[in-house]
Amino acid sequence: MEAISVKNLSVAYEDNLIIDNMNLSIPKGEISIIIGANGCGKSTLLKTIGRIIKPKNGEIFINDKNIKKLKEKHIATQVAFLPQGPICPNGITVKEVVSYGRFPHQKMIGGLNSHDKEIIEWAIEETGLKDFADREIENLSGGQRQRAWIAMTLAQETDIIMLDEPTTYLDMSYQLEVLEVLEKLNKKKNITVVIVLHELNNACRFASNIIGLKKGKIICKGVPRDVITEENLREIYGIDVKLQLSENGEYPICVEYELIRG
Amino acid sequence: MKKRKLKIISLILISLLLFSLILYLSWGSFKISPLDIIKTILGEGTKLQKSALLNIRVPRLLVGISVGIALSTAGALLQTITKNELADSGIVGINAGAAVAAVVFISLKTADYYSELGNISIYVLPFMAIIGAGISAAVIYFLSGRNRIRPQRLLLIGLGINAGLNAFITFFTFRGGVSDYNRVLVWISGSLWGSGWSYAKIITPIVVLMFILVHINYKKLDVLNLSDEHAVCLGLNLNKERKKFLTYAVILAGTATAFAGNVSLIGLISPHIAKKLVGPYHKNFLVISAVISTIIILIADAVSRNLFSPIEIPVGITISILGVPYFIYLMIKEK
Repeated sequence: MEAISVKNLSVAYEDNLIIDNMNLSIPKGEISIIIGANGCGKSTLLKTIGRIIKPKNGEIFINDKNIKKLKEKHIATQVAFLPQGPICPNGITVKEVVSYGRFPHQKMIGGLNSHDKEIIEWAIEETGLKDFADREIENLSGGQRQRAWIAMTLAQETDIIMLDEPTTYLDMSYQLEVLEVLEKLNKKKNITVVIVLHELNNACRFASNIIGLKKGKIICKGVPRDVITEENLREIYGIDVKLQLSENGEYPICVEYELIRG
Repeated sequence: MKKRKLKIISLILISLLLFSLILYLSWGSFKISPLDIIKTILGEGTKLQKSALLNIRVPRLLVGISVGIALSTAGALLQTITKNELADSGIVGINAGAAVAAVVFISLKTADYYSELGNISIYVLPFMAIIGAGISAAVIYFLSGRNRIRPQRLLLIGLGINAGLNAFITFFTFRGGVSDYNRVLVWISGSLWGSGWSYAKIITPIVVLMFILVHINYKKLDVLNLSDEHAVCLGLNLNKERKKFLTYAVILAGTATAFAGNVSLIGLISPHIAKKLVGPYHKNFLVISAVISTIIILIADAVSRNLFSPIEIPVGITISILGVPYFIYLMIKEK
């Protein structure tokens, strides 16, 4: 089963081709992590799936339905996307930010119904923000703030969530905090999670499916243990790496890396 | 906690509103005590009280309130659309567009600048002003990059357009005689002078209707407060909604300017204060902002009419004098 599939997708900023004729399917119920060097098209891919950028060519299917044929609000009930650097005006509390996630489900007139409120409670609980629900966003730590945004994404009540670099600018413990929340949701609610991530070791640890991109093309795709190899990393990042298996033997760890000179 | 704060703020604002209403209706060269106001409204006042209150002060009160609400709501919309707290229909040249259209229309229609406008003209005037406001808004919208509104650019282009249009109005005043100058001055500085029932009958329904229309869209406006990308992800048709809200702002600002000229600052300050008081949630802050603008314009107009009586100063000038220090204080306090 696939949650998202992309067929013959090309995306360009003016004449600059970012994604070149890509075919990709993202499996349901798994954590897929997209890695690649800066400017390789990973964010562009997520943004195109999230309808922020219009593709030049190709089709995108979400739960086997072509997004061109769906209404904007309906798509927003199928897939939720947390872009980079989310913003909100000062003075908004965690609870209020999370309730924004109910927007695609709400009618134009009328407030939050009891189901909306339940989902908001659940999202706050799941992300461990119960004690901070009435705090203002600007008064939270980086990790808490990012979890609040994830809670909002959860409140959209979708089977698929996509996150664009959700751990950037966070220190190591906050990075884990965020990724563990996502892992828990994936396990408990079978939510399909798609993440763009820079941190290779975190990617290997949390992904069940890793996708390596270079210049808008897929270099490798599969279980981290199979596809995170020295050759593939050389291809993707242009670096020489030393890999080791983790202590439990389940995923590779990059222990040393060196730029390829010459 | 939050709910209690909201209650206290509402209570304070309601008492301020009552105070300003009583002040507005009773203060004047002919004073009417608060008790007499109630009596007169119930139909028991003297003939003089009746005519002062019902024929002069009440209609002007209605026009004033409508103008205040229209400008503060337009300002709130523009601030949300551009994600910039400095946006306001006066600053970005939308009011000036309306003023130019109104000035041109009036000088083509009549040479007698001191008389009230004729019957048909009154109905046509707001439309002309809205068209003028719409043209200048469209120019600003297209020049600042249609699909991706860049707040800085929009503000700068708006400032430029505003300067250009004001130059046009000044040119117009020099071309005309003294009487031209007096009438046009009203449009430059904003005044409620000469607002009677004929004005109130038109502006009040338009503003009430538009305010309701804006307010039922509060959820969409809230989502517009997030980053553009985020708003799209939540299923908002960003370009359509932006154009829609810009149109609402144009109608509101155009209508207000048609009857009261370019009243500055109120569209900037009222939403600003409201956000400070109740936060950026549109459901609450649009209403609070409307109440604040009502209080400001009533007190300012009462001062305008009476402080240098019998000479009346334009309400826009009073608002600026009262508003500028507050505005500077806000800017200094801002991090």
